[in-house]
Amino acid sequence: MVEITWEDGAHSSYTGEQLRWACPCAECRGEAGATGRLARVKTLNDDELKIRDVTLVGQYALQIAFESGHATGIYTFSYLRRRLM
Amino acid sequence: MSGPSSQQVLDALATIKDPDLGRDVVSLGMIKEIEVSPQGRVSFTFELTTPACPVRDRFKSQAEDAIGELPGVTGVDVRMTANVRPAFLRPKPSEILPGVKQTIAIASGKGGVGKSTVAVNLAAALRKSGASVGLLDADIYGPSVPVMTGSHSVPQQANGRLLPIEAHGMKVMSFGHINPGSEPTIYRGPMVGKAIEAMMVQVDWGVLDYLVIDLPPGTGDASLTLAQAVPLTGVAIVCTPQDVATDIAVKALQMFRKLNVTPLGLIENMSWYVCPSCGHRHEIFSHGGAESAARRLGVPFLGAVPLEEGIREDADSGTPVVISRPESAGAKAFVEIASQVAARTSIQSFRQLPVINVH
Repeated sequence: MVEITWEDGAHSSYTGEQLRWACPCAECRGEAGATGRLARVKTLNDDELKIRDVTLVGQYALQIAFESGHATGIYTFSYLRRRLM
Repeated sequence: MSGPSSQQVLDALATIKDPDLGRDVVSLGMIKEIEVSPQGRVSFTFELTTPACPVRDRFKSQAEDAIGELPGVTGVDVRMTANVRPAFLRPKPSEILPGVKQTIAIASGKGGVGKSTVAVNLAAALRKSGASVGLLDADIYGPSVPVMTGSHSVPQQANGRLLPIEAHGMKVMSFGHINPGSEPTIYRGPMVGKAIEAMMVQVDWGVLDYLVIDLPPGTGDASLTLAQAVPLTGVAIVCTPQDVATDIAVKALQMFRKLNVTPLGLIENMSWYVCPSCGHRHEIFSHGGAESAARRLGVPFLGAVPLEEGIREDADSGTPVVISRPESAGAKAFVEIASQVAARTSIQSFRQLPVINVH
């Protein structure tokens, strides 16, 4: 579970499962016309949904690492705030 | 008749408002060590958020007036000091550059607008005001800081880390120190990112009030790496007045906005030239372009620097003009811009970033 208190005082919280399915990385989303992994699979293992670590990228995004080792998603704050509510 | 109480002193000083931070100086925690003698003499410390504070003198006289008017006061001693506060209220200190309180990037859209000259002189002006200052030259391909600061020695190592070079009271580090001479640095993009990260992680910057970072022009690898690796306090964009330069400066500024780096404002360089023979003021590259671009973008205009032979001469000989010719129009412009930049970074110290909890 990731909880964010925004600059204006509002709160958001996200489960590992929500974040994993919303991973914005090229492998998950697909690139150059190829379908992404998340569009091809129906289920994900438990270790793919469990958050291992969250690191701040500059001051515009979070990089979220999952127990499976998947850590290529850079979740910008605007994505987290606007798209993932 | 006895003097006022400490509370009365605080109440009187709470009428002074910081114009940049928009709050009174008492609630901002700037007033410290209040003493009232039995004879009614009031003394206290007025701690500014930067030694380069543009309203320093105004604050002092406002404080003296406000206390002088209280009944029973026979004298006022205001000790003006400064303590630069770290950018952002963070739960834990940043792991990268842990001792650096404020990181200020100097960027431009186009090359050749005098970005390094501005960076060197702003850093020197902040140092002159009394702050501890570092200067990081992040221009891997065209490092100009070694020449402009007259620092040509090779960095020493201690405990497996590089020590920055001392120049004009500042700590300086450039790729030109690591790879001196006329051999070019030929790097592809990803290497540039690594090199810039190394100059932050593998260099022992120690404790600094301000680290000024001179970026290469453009919106490419260097700027991206920096915005991703360091929580930058903000970025000041340098441009010349003509449209072709301001248009590109706008692009640079919008890139930093996308990366959530606060634009501190625009600086107009080579704004005018006073002919030494006839005294006429020429506006070679037009005038006011940066100011109108700043207005359009809704960011502060930080000031304009004239085109002066002295600025170029002193940069080539290794002494920033703010040190070598403090009375020149160019030096005065840099000092004024440095205090504007310092004021803008102070605002960031009071900004609350998103708080992230993971469990």
